Amino acid sequence: MPELPELNPVIHGKLRLALLSLLAGVEEAEFTWLRVKTGSTDGNLGAQLLKLEEAGYIAVEKKFVQRKPQTLYRMTEAGRQALTEYVQALKSLLGPAING
Amino acid sequence: MTENLNEMEMELKDRLSLIENMIAEGRRGTESWGWVFLLWGVAYYVAILWSSTSFLGPIWGRQYLAWPVTMSLSCVLTIVIGARKQGKRPSTTISRAIAAMWMAMGISMFILLLSLGISGRVEQQVFIAIIAAMLGTTNAASSFILRWKVQFACAVVWWAAAVISLFSNVTQSSLVFLLAIFLCQIVFGVYGMVAEARSRRQGAIHA
Repeated sequence: MPELPELNPVIHGKLRLALLSLLAGVEEAEFTWLRVKTGSTDGNLGAQLLKLEEAGYIAVEKKFVQRKPQTLYRMTEAGRQALTEYVQALKSLLGPAING
Repeated sequence: MTENLNEMEMELKDRLSLIENMIAEGRRGTESWGWVFLLWGVAYYVAILWSSTSFLGPIWGRQYLAWPVTMSLSCVLTIVIGARKQGKRPSTTISRAIAAMWMAMGISMFILLLSLGISGRVEQQVFIAIIAAMLGTTNAASSFILRWKVQFACAVVWWAAAVISLFSNVTQSSLVFLLAIFLCQIVFGVYGMVAEARSRRQGAIHA
């Protein structure tokens, strides 16, 4: 079996993988929604989202709704491409074991 | 060595599973299905009430119209409300798959029940068992796609109603059907709508 390092290290982190997968299913999502779905802490979630943003996989929009700050995250085309490639890499690594 | 390979394999499978679960989680929380279940639950009750009660009047007195009229009206309402709710949002593979299953089930049910009605080979217990089994199948398929245990529970209730109906008399079978509609359409529909509203408040927007 090939070695794990062939997988994209930015996506390979479990929380980052979960975040990118969640964002793949919605148009955009608020910080609080992502926190509820992942069960993560504010600090850890913020740090992992920043890494995804720095990699260009997600885009962030900050705005005020009824005077309350709102942070919206959406997956970029690069993020979608990276997730697709990651899934393909996983499947090729698993090979015949994927149906086992 | 073999143990390490197995561990790695498990870890990779775990990643794939995580991706699938999270994508399904996002979809399930943001797609809007609850109102459809509620609408059809109410429609079934109206059809049953209309077909089994002797209302006075030129329209309500025609009990044979109850199912065709109610079901047709529900179809139109589902299409109109669904189109308005969908708006300009892009459809997704999952939403198309779910909609396709329900449409196929609706067409099958319409053809089968119409033929049974016209041919006169219809017995109430069998009629209920067919509807319940078809609803059980579609709910189960949808629950597998969405990985939604609550909807699978609805499928189990429908399957149970189908089996019980075939082993009971007309009254018992009707009661079982009414109970299944209440649980799997009305209660599940309201539950779905509440979950969707909660998800929207938390900030996820439909893809």
